[in-house]
Amino acid sequence: MSALGATLTSFTGSAAAFGDVGAFNPRIVSAGGRRLAGPRSTAPSSWSMELMNRTSAPARLVPKELGLDRPELSTEPFAIWAGDADVGPLTLGERRGLSKFIRLGGVLVVDDSDPQGGAFGRSVRRELLRILPESPPVRLDPSHVLFKTFYIVDRPVGRLLGPPTIDAIVRGKNAQVLFLAHDLLGALARSEDGGFPLPTEPPSYEQRQYAIRFAVNIAMYVLCSDYKDDQVHAPFLMRRRAQSR
Amino acid sequence: MSHRGVGLAEGVSPLLLWALAGLLAIWFVLLLVEGRLRHAPLWVALSGLVTALLMGAAVLRPSLVTTRGTELFPKVVVLVDRSWRMRLGDGTTTREQVSLDTVRRLQSHLKAARVEVLGFGEGAAKPMPLAEASAGHRPTDSDLTAALRALGEAPGERPKAVVVVSDGRLTSPTDSSAPEAMRALGERIGAPIHTLRVADTSPPDASIRRAATAGAAVAHQKLALQLQVGCSGGLACDELPVTVEELLHGEPPSLLAQGSAKIRDGSATIELPFTLDRAGRRLVRVRLQAPAGDRVPENDVRILTFDVTRERVRVLHVAGRPTYDVRALRMWLKADESIDLIAFFILRTNSDATQTSDDAELSLIPFPVDELFTEHLPSFDAVILQDIDAVEYKLERHLPALARYVRAGGGLIMVGGPSAFMGGGYAGSPLSDVLPAVLPQQGAPFDTAPFEPRTTDAGRAAPTLRGVRELFGDQLPKMQGMNTLGAVRPGSIVLWEHPERRAGNAAMPVLSLGESGDGRSIALAVDGTHLLEWSELSERGAGRAYGALWEGLVGWLMRDPRFESARIELTHECRAGAPVELSVTRLPGAAVDVKVTLLPLGAGAEQPGPAAPMPDKQLRMEASVETITVALGVLTEGGYSATVRIGSAPPARFDFACERGGLAFADSRPDPALLERLARETKGVSLKADDVESLSAPPATRVAAERVTTPLLPAWLWALAAAASLGGHWYLRRRAGLV
Repeated sequence: MSALGATLTSFTGSAAAFGDVGAFNPRIVSAGGRRLAGPRSTAPSSWSMELMNRTSAPARLVPKELGLDRPELSTEPFAIWAGDADVGPLTLGERRGLSKFIRLGGVLVVDDSDPQGGAFGRSVRRELLRILPESPPVRLDPSHVLFKTFYIVDRPVGRLLGPPTIDAIVRGKNAQVLFLAHDLLGALARSEDGGFPLPTEPPSYEQRQYAIRFAVNIAMYVLCSDYKDDQVHAPFLMRRRAQSR
Repeated sequence: MSHRGVGLAEGVSPLLLWALAGLLAIWFVLLLVEGRLRHAPLWVALSGLVTALLMGAAVLRPSLVTTRGTELFPKVVVLVDRSWRMRLGDGTTTREQVSLDTVRRLQSHLKAARVEVLGFGEGAAKPMPLAEASAGHRPTDSDLTAALRALGEAPGERPKAVVVVSDGRLTSPTDSSAPEAMRALGERIGAPIHTLRVADTSPPDASIRRAATAGAAVAHQKLALQLQVGCSGGLACDELPVTVEELLHGEPPSLLAQGSAKIRDGSATIELPFTLDRAGRRLVRVRLQAPAGDRVPENDVRILTFDVTRERVRVLHVAGRPTYDVRALRMWLKADESIDLIAFFILRTNSDATQTSDDAELSLIPFPVDELFTEHLPSFDAVILQDIDAVEYKLERHLPALARYVRAGGGLIMVGGPSAFMGGGYAGSPLSDVLPAVLPQQGAPFDTAPFEPRTTDAGRAAPTLRGVRELFGDQLPKMQGMNTLGAVRPGSIVLWEHPERRAGNAAMPVLSLGESGDGRSIALAVDGTHLLEWSELSERGAGRAYGALWEGLVGWLMRDPRFESARIELTHECRAGAPVELSVTRLPGAAVDVKVTLLPLGAGAEQPGPAAPMPDKQLRMEASVETITVALGVLTEGGYSATVRIGSAPPARFDFACERGGLAFADSRPDPALLERLARETKGVSLKADDVESLSAPPATRVAAERVTTPLLPAWLWALAAAASLGGHWYLRRRAGLV
């Protein structure tokens, strides 16, 4: 991963923000010291690289991993919490850290690497319900801005095709916690030779491309919030959707 | 002075007097009846009458009363019309001069009266020493009703008569007032109201008699200005052109509307719609082209002040790339219900590979740069350019228009980043002239060395940063670099500066504020203010510091009074040719120097006002002083902009109009009929000023100082005489054979 990061750093060339302080940074968070291991640990760098290659957004190529109880969690507005097993009960410090992050307006992607089992997703929902009892997850409407922040996409896709909808914790007008049951990081993971070590299910080049597009859309949602919901975009987007049909 | 009369004994009530008179009358009638029926001799009846009178005198005991005292002259209140309108004249003398002369003549005529001279205009009438009659502020109105009401409610002696000296063009009462209302004015005082008319004929005059709008002025919304144009005094009027212009700072007046008033029966009404794009105090000049022979040119021009409000602040936010800094600003702007946000972010560059076969798979739209910065630019209250390359995104060709937009009253914030300021091709452009800091044209466009911005003295004093400083004090999050800026322009203010980098002899400005023409601009040379919300430091403010900073910046840009360093207002209406004073109120604080700069608006245009800036005024405000009055001297007709700098805080600005005639001169016709009506309804008389000597004084009031009572005869003598007379009468009756 470090080699990949170094390669990508040299690729960024000119500065996109002073010290990249405002750049998209897909940080991995963990609870109880369970760190993300295996090919998926390369996914954040891959996510950043895809974002920079495809859009004008700057991104950090060597994202950090940090615990939910670390104060650094609330120094940036985005984090990914991925796993395939029950996270167990969060400590008081982890609950406080996560609560502060969300109340500040941060966006958290909860990516279940094993959605068929579903233990990770269920446990994270359980813990978040303890932290935000007033904000249970709701199903996002297919017209949600997440599906049009950069690419026009019809449904969420990851390494797994998964359900056609997303549940999210919405606070105010903002979807702040996105529950993915599609193994998005699995789709983004890269091997050292640049290949994709985890095959999509069903095997499909297009599915991986759609997964990358969906990841770019999430990044753009984090960076621009509901920009594409502005009235000025409405006639263009209606025309585009009509064309794509 | 003494006076003699006859009185009665003390304790004689009117009831007793009437009862006694009744008894005596009955006695006398009985005597007459008896004399007729019994043929009694006349001397019996006469003795009976004498006896009755003496008995009455014995009861009443008449006495001689001598009174010594004085005659008090009646109080007469003279109400002199003090409206600025009284400066109108017939070419040789003004109505004011006539009124003052009339008052002097009245004073010498009413020698047998105590004359109190008061001036009326707005509210209660005030004492008006004739020696100082030409000094002091003159009101616009002639509110006689308010003056009489206050006079009626004042404690102390009521006047026996009120004399009004005016031309009759009163604000209240008017010729549409009901007779009952007029009578009530006299009844309130309890005295007749006499009127002295100082003018009976109208001068040849075409004027803007009335200027009004339906509803309040709202930025970007059409406003209909209704003008009533009048023509009087025998002046020949047909079609009179009217122009409406906005007076701008540092630029020629901008034409808003024009039309012509077709005069029929001496007046015309014309409606001129126009739109004011900028909120705040805006000065609009209405000019009537009067025909030759117009004797009152002062009322051919009105300078109207509009407090233009906004329904919502319309902000254009353009960002060159999406970052966390862009996200934070967008979310803050969107969260504020008072902001109408139009945003355009560059999401893809030419070098980006979107991996699509068709653009229809993307939600991207072309950046409508030409449309935005030509057609729609005037509709925005503020423009935020955040880290966007002017050359790459074809903004460069619109920079002159953007600079004009700022000078015309728009707000501009340039937010830092690699593609902002020098890095975005703005150095040397017209837009750089309206930024608060100079943009160098050589050297590295930015520096990525981390630093913590340092708050300057101005930053500590500025209400703009009050919110941030309440949360963080002088501490700020560490920034990861900044754009290279030069020194600040004269008149601009630095709130944050770099602790090490230099721009000339001073520290490099990180956050600076400036004014350019009618507009304001802000240069923020960092791209990390989102760290006020997302950093370890932000925990101290629970993330609120970011909102506090931007509320202050946008508020200052939009001239929100909460973020101004001073509240400025005129002590009274500004009149050309009369001394003008400003009242300046600051926030409580230490002793500071105050600098007041006055500039004419609409410079470069044909206007009678001064063409050059007037000398600055320097004052000192001690710590205990919050409000000072600044004398601006005598100004000529026009619009003015006063800039007040309190210590090192950002300057506050106040635009105001100075008129020659104003509303007071709007209708130059006297109204003698109204004065005649007023006198008639209140049992007074109405006279021409020339006939002041025909006015008679009310009667004097006698005041007794000493009263001496001397009985005509002692009481016992009255009783003895009555008893002797009764005995004599009885004797005569017996001799006449009567019982």
